[in-house]
Amino acid sequence: MLDVIARILAASLVSWLLFITIDVLFKLPEKGGVSGAAAIGQAIEKDGGALHGGYMMGNIVCSPDASAGTLLAACGVYIAGIPGGLAAALLVYIGNRICYDPGYAGTTGAVLATFVIFGFTRIGFGAEEFIAGMVLAILTIQGLSHLGASRLLATLWGWRA
Amino acid sequence: MGVAGIIPSEIALIFVVLVGLFAALRVAFEKNTLRKLPYLNVLSFAVAAAIALLIRHPLALLAAVAFFVGSTLESNAIASTYAGGRDKDD
Repeated sequence: MLDVIARILAASLVSWLLFITIDVLFKLPEKGGVSGAAAIGQAIEKDGGALHGGYMMGNIVCSPDASAGTLLAACGVYIAGIPGGLAAALLVYIGNRICYDPGYAGTTGAVLATFVIFGFTRIGFGAEEFIAGMVLAILTIQGLSHLGASRLLATLWGWRA
Repeated sequence: MGVAGIIPSEIALIFVVLVGLFAALRVAFEKNTLRKLPYLNVLSFAVAAAIALLIRHPLALLAAVAFFVGSTLESNAIASTYAGGRDKDD
């Protein structure tokens, strides 16, 4: 049981690094992709957070990004292996278009995550551990401290910009 | 079933459910509507994850994505309404 928990925590770290890297590369912290995402970023900044980190959090809320892509790819790999993950990527692509998202962070994240997660299943991880790991990873950004998370994301964005 | 018989997907489900409950409480206690939405996002992640973990079937993947995208679109609509509607260039 402890080994499963340890693998969930490791999967969480891998998922965190994967989705943050892709989202920052795809410039999610630059601006709100839709007016609602910008409004969430500004609400977080008003309460003492960092604007660009807030924009990225708003963008994560308003359209499936690489974090959602990673979660859904993990679900896909859990259910049907690589074809399941790629099916999830296609559905994320459609979801992005439904949400007026001009970008491809979600689709890219889902495709990359499919192969990363499948690779980890070859070395003893279970795809279900990545499902739980991704839920923990998104908790650290969207669910614990908006102010702390927005400052961290803004710092990462500063390196990218 | 004893603790010794617990399987990895059940441990994963326990994590997911705990995160979901925590996010639900934060949604309930946050006063600012726009700041509720990131917590709601975490809750949607947990629900989509639970759907896939509980029902290991290809159609469950469709259900999880449909739920997640629907929830995201609703958050998008709520946030954009608070922001004063759609951008002029949309």
